[in-house]
Amino acid sequence: MKLFFSQLGWELFRLFARKRTYIGFGVFLAVEMLFFYFFSVGRGADRMEEFIERVAGGVNEYFSALTLAFIIVAFTMLLLGLVFVALVAGDILAKETEDGNLRLILVRPISRFRLLVIKFLSCQIYTTALFLFVGVTALLVGILSRGWGGAMMVWSPDLPRVSLFNWNEGMFRYFVGILGYSIVYLPVTGIAFMLGCFRIKPAAATIVTVAVLIGDRILSSIPLPAIDPYREYFITSRMDAWLLLMYQDVPWPRFWEQSGWLLGIGLTGFVIGWLVFERRDVKS
Amino acid sequence: MLSFSGVSKSFDQGRPAALADVSFEVGEGKICGLLGHNGAGKSTALGVLLGMVYPDSGEVIIGGCPVLTDRQNAIRKVGAIFEAPAFYEYLSGWYNLKILTAYSGAVDRKMMEETVEWVGLGSRIKDRVGTYSHGMRQRLALAQALLPRPEVLILDEPTDGLDPEGIVEFREQLLTLREELGLTVLLSSHLLGEVEQVCDEVVILQRGFKVYEGKVRGMEDGWNTFVIESENSETLVKAVQKLGGKKIGDLFQFPSELAAADLLEKLIEEGIRVTKFSEEEESLEALYLKFSQVAGKGDEA
Repeated sequence: MKLFFSQLGWELFRLFARKRTYIGFGVFLAVEMLFFYFFSVGRGADRMEEFIERVAGGVNEYFSALTLAFIIVAFTMLLLGLVFVALVAGDILAKETEDGNLRLILVRPISRFRLLVIKFLSCQIYTTALFLFVGVTALLVGILSRGWGGAMMVWSPDLPRVSLFNWNEGMFRYFVGILGYSIVYLPVTGIAFMLGCFRIKPAAATIVTVAVLIGDRILSSIPLPAIDPYREYFITSRMDAWLLLMYQDVPWPRFWEQSGWLLGIGLTGFVIGWLVFERRDVKS
Repeated sequence: MLSFSGVSKSFDQGRPAALADVSFEVGEGKICGLLGHNGAGKSTALGVLLGMVYPDSGEVIIGGCPVLTDRQNAIRKVGAIFEAPAFYEYLSGWYNLKILTAYSGAVDRKMMEETVEWVGLGSRIKDRVGTYSHGMRQRLALAQALLPRPEVLILDEPTDGLDPEGIVEFREQLLTLREELGLTVLLSSHLLGEVEQVCDEVVILQRGFKVYEGKVRGMEDGWNTFVIESENSETLVKAVQKLGGKKIGDLFQFPSELAAADLLEKLIEEGIRVTKFSEEEESLEALYLKFSQVAGKGDEA
């Protein structure tokens, strides 16, 4: 087990030692600043205050660092999360196969299964780290802009009603929500990782994953009753599960059920990828 | 130490096999050259040996461990260098070694430092691999292959792209490794001269078939090779056949019990006006070309 964690540690070291990783983080930061401008500085700030006053009442209390940070995180991840997670998971094996790094690893006494477990876990840890980075930086921006304290308002069309939390509860929900957000991306990691196990270009693994999930989102959003019986089978419908953590009273059974589905989809992707990779010839 | 038995592999149905019933052995402490033109099956053979390519049939054993069913224990005994090894360019040579050796289990820091010094990378090991020359990458490749201590070294075109000094240095390192550590080496190379200088034995592959396995010099056991010229080549060939010999390319082979002096005397007795006669210790190049030619003719037939 010690050896496994050592191997995982070195894989994470390799992943986080790349300049590209930080360019990605930089892009997220830039988009966060853009949303910060939209919601808190520019002409949209007044509209934001009006909206909060209308929905929650008490704009001074509810237009807080936490409220602002939550909105920034939600929209930043909506815009970039899918692409970046698919990029990392699609790249991690396919790119190493293409570049030839994998040959030097496969001549080591390690099973392909173990190697894939290490790579898959690295992807998930990377995703969580990325989401936490976005969460922490958004909160810092919020605190610098709106100060410490106040209360938190969470609004989304998918929530049954607006959720209101005091500062401490809001802080707890904010970080739990971010961790939940990173977990619901498991299917993205699973699908991209699975595709990367085939004889495929790294970019193709990412593009196909993004295309599948955007298609899934469009289909699941068709506002016609005919789609209703199937809506729960769409991956992206279930990926909204993280919002359950922001309900005033968290419906835990529903959250665990949805998370179980997402975990199942992610692990199915991993298992299919492993079965393919296990039988693949890697020519030198 | 290393044995290939009846290994066959086809990548696509309808295309010729990449390996067709190939068998050979490399004894402990021997350096064996694996020769063949592009597409002869050398890389596939190395892939099968390292458990990266699955054969359709046959068995490969390294140090008593079958690669197919006990890959991890078999590979534990092996270090490998590939043509143009791909390292993580953005990391130092040291971190590349740490990452790669982590997949083999814990490697002692002292052993790593000694190996790095031995391959001559001591002063640059903390620099990014992206700044390394081709020769330095090959040294790093050798270092990772030697960590932790292997019993078998698999080298795929290890001197490709090296300058002449680099080739000589690599050759000396290889011979030192064999002497000091008793390593068994399988060396795939296009450079016949290099193979000739370091290898004890050679395996020649041609279009997936093994066409020769044996000593580097001296041809097949039991036969001597001669250069013979005469005014009438037709009568010469007939006389050679009558004396139990055979013509291969421009050379002639006779059973080794027939001494050179006796052979010359018998040719003269047969009425052959011999204009040139010498015994040939055949070069690897001649050997390689001859067997490539023989296999090629076989394929045409």
